[in-house]
Amino acid sequence: MSRSIASYRTALDHLHHYLARFIPVTKQEFGQILGFVEIREFDKKIKVTGEGQVERYMNMIAWGLARKYLPVRNREMTTQLASEGHIIHSELSFHYQVPSAAVIETIEPTVFLSISYDSLQALYDQFPKAERLGRLLISDLFVKKDKRYFDQLHKSTRERFLEYVQTHPQIVQRVPQKYMASYLNIKPETFSRLKHLMRPKKGR
Amino acid sequence: MLERLRQYVSGYVPLTDEEFALLAENITIRTFGRRELLVRAGEKELYMNFVVKGLVRMYFYNGKAEVVTNIAKEGHLISSSAAYLSGQPSNYFVETLEATTLLSLSRDDLDKIYGRSSRIERLGRLMTTFFVLQQEEWEQEWMRLDTRERFVRFVEANPELVSRVPQKYLASYLNMKPETFSRQKNLLRTSRPPAVKTGKP
Repeated sequence: MSRSIASYRTALDHLHHYLARFIPVTKQEFGQILGFVEIREFDKKIKVTGEGQVERYMNMIAWGLARKYLPVRNREMTTQLASEGHIIHSELSFHYQVPSAAVIETIEPTVFLSISYDSLQALYDQFPKAERLGRLLISDLFVKKDKRYFDQLHKSTRERFLEYVQTHPQIVQRVPQKYMASYLNIKPETFSRLKHLMRPKKGR
Repeated sequence: MLERLRQYVSGYVPLTDEEFALLAENITIRTFGRRELLVRAGEKELYMNFVVKGLVRMYFYNGKAEVVTNIAKEGHLISSSAAYLSGQPSNYFVETLEATTLLSLSRDDLDKIYGRSSRIERLGRLMTTFFVLQQEEWEQEWMRLDTRERFVRFVEANPELVSRVPQKYLASYLNMKPETFSRQKNLLRTSRPPAVKTGKP
């Protein structure tokens, strides 16, 4: 999987923009942060973090597609679908450094911009400004996650489906249907029935 | 009252006396009777609250049914936290179940003191991380444990809540039918099941 330097540069620019949404980050500061970041490349369908492994990294997707799932009695319950610019990792395992119950797996060939647990602690210790950045970033993830849980419990299957399709068109095209059905907590049969709603309407 | 908060906070970050004073002087003590609503869905959440005494629940309406998503006793935080952090209207209701005393910190005051101490900022980061992890844990339990495991785990972690919280709320919190909940409760009385592995640190 070879990509040009330019596409890495684009991915790093995205990371810079992403961080700068929370607080101003100068080029120089971003350069310092990058000193803590590793680039990790994976083929498709690779378990990046397996069940029972300790999650070492917090990852942002530079390009590609990955999912998080919980293996439950021979089933895989997908709890996250992540594409370019999204953060994905096994949070509990990462934070407490204990074996992971969740699996992180690539769907497409994927490149992660990753920061290891140890590097992240070092970053926080060396750059007090990173505390604020970290706080605001985590806060943003929390608010989004809470919305997902709330919607999951509160909205109808059809509403969940339509909202997801409208807000994540790029993911919908790329993710196998069974993962999406699992993520949206919709039975595969129901999912196929709802799919006709996805076709673009004429005149749009 | 503040000592308890200090203990809690130092579980995340040890603060100096000055840093803790900065936090303490911005805290409001609020007292409520039982069954008072602190926040309604659609309203803004102004406070992050630490329960000194009492019991508080958080819930939302699914049609006419109340779904309980959090129950906080002494020594725990309660707030419609996503609304508190985002400034957006709350999706949830927060209500006292007993007469309750809270140590409350407004979002504006918190933002002010963040600027004055990077250790308080770290405290904020770690608490926010804790919210994420709590959510994650809740999701994992929900998916991985069956009814009985969920029940046993909850009762072992919170034995006194079983008598303090009305049964229907506990059932809702554990996503069980009230009948199933009483059946589990009776089973627990007659035979102690083996402890469930938690996967917690």
